[in-house]
Amino acid sequence: MRLYEYEAKKILGSAGIPIPKGDLVFSADQVKEILDRVKAPLVLKPQIPVGGRMKAGGIQFVDNSGEAGEKAKYLLNSSLRGYKIDRLLMEEKLEFEEEFYLAVTYDRSKKSPLIILSSQGGINVEESSDEVITVRFSLLSPFSKYKAHELVSILKLKGPLFLSLSDIICRLTKLFYDYDATLAEINPLVRTAKEAFIALDVHIDIDDDALYRHPELKDKFGIENGERRTSKVTPFEKEAARIDGQDYRGVAGRLVEFEGDLGLLIGGGGASLTVFDAVARYGGSPADYCEIGGNPSVKKLKDLTKLILSKPGVKKIAVIMNITSNSRVDLIARGIIKGVIESGYIPHEKIALFRVPGAWEKEGTKILKKYGVKYYGRDISIDQAAEKAVKILQGN
Amino acid sequence: MGIFIKVELDDRKCKGLKECGKCVDTCPVRIFLIEKEKININSENEDECTLCNLCLEICPSEAIAVRKLYELEEKGR
Repeated sequence: MRLYEYEAKKILGSAGIPIPKGDLVFSADQVKEILDRVKAPLVLKPQIPVGGRMKAGGIQFVDNSGEAGEKAKYLLNSSLRGYKIDRLLMEEKLEFEEEFYLAVTYDRSKKSPLIILSSQGGINVEESSDEVITVRFSLLSPFSKYKAHELVSILKLKGPLFLSLSDIICRLTKLFYDYDATLAEINPLVRTAKEAFIALDVHIDIDDDALYRHPELKDKFGIENGERRTSKVTPFEKEAARIDGQDYRGVAGRLVEFEGDLGLLIGGGGASLTVFDAVARYGGSPADYCEIGGNPSVKKLKDLTKLILSKPGVKKIAVIMNITSNSRVDLIARGIIKGVIESGYIPHEKIALFRVPGAWEKEGTKILKKYGVKYYGRDISIDQAAEKAVKILQGN
Repeated sequence: MGIFIKVELDDRKCKGLKECGKCVDTCPVRIFLIEKEKININSENEDECTLCNLCLEICPSEAIAVRKLYELEEKGR
């Protein structure tokens, strides 16, 4: 997971690596308040989870406080590299003498962490002809100061700069290890006229498989289970989570609320995203994104179906899963049909489509047939299922 | 009460808790429960039945029957 720049900078700041003074802005109204702490000239940096902001013209410089609000307002109403800008990092604009590049990452071919250092950083670092210094190290012990000194000595730095860069390298390697990062990159790491190094831009990627080891990210940045919450959890989503938490069996309730009219119960090894996108592509409007998987209890599925059908505006539901070897079609059919009936509806009128190629298909087919719901298995693709569901909802 | 599965326990054949009670321990979805020292069917859980047939296999007196309601009605049409 890629952290936003301001999140990465907070981590760097806590680790003792110098960063520019700055604060986060969600609306132009906040600019004035921040100007008390951070003085012009300033730089406004959109916080999006991809790089290349400068080249795309997304970074704005502000020479006096007066224009800060206006430029912030403009940026907060724009999109950058396909992302709607909803937050800006407002920082002091630093004058600097030189740009360096420093990163800690993995050399997957050598199965070893790697430090990359160059005296030529900045936005065109890939095209730089300057020497790039790389050194592999072991995570079994901290990257020692003498090794950092050895590395920095290649750049022929002297005095406080030599010590300062060595210190930053040690701190960055420790941070890389502590956060289970796959990349901790400072570009540029600038040398100011006062002979100090400051991390002007930072990029940290944390290993998705290690996110469970970092519950502190939830408190710091709202990152939970590898997902970032940018909006508040709705009561609808809370109730779905409660249903899923009823017992340990299967998944039925990992839900995100939307405003459409087609309730979705989708899943199967990442296929849920494919289904969701396909529904939207065929002109459908999902009321929710809700994963089901494994073998949730009939009660969980029933309660979840009832919840989705209780959402105002939901006209029908579609149950679409990828081919699974373990999810039992009959148990899923029981839960969904029971939920529809207990909501006071007729199954074949409320279920737009049921496509679950899984285990116990014969039993599932019998149940669905009794309630007049057509069963789809491997005979149609996820994409076709999504298209059919949308057409049925639209009465075509 | 189950709308898909009906589990029946024949009181005349069941050996009861004192002698047996194996179905209570065996069922993975707790369809059998003990009420007033008697084995009863937990009707709320009937539709959770996974059709594993463990209860049928463990019952020494063949006192249990598991019926798929969706099948019975289908045949009866």
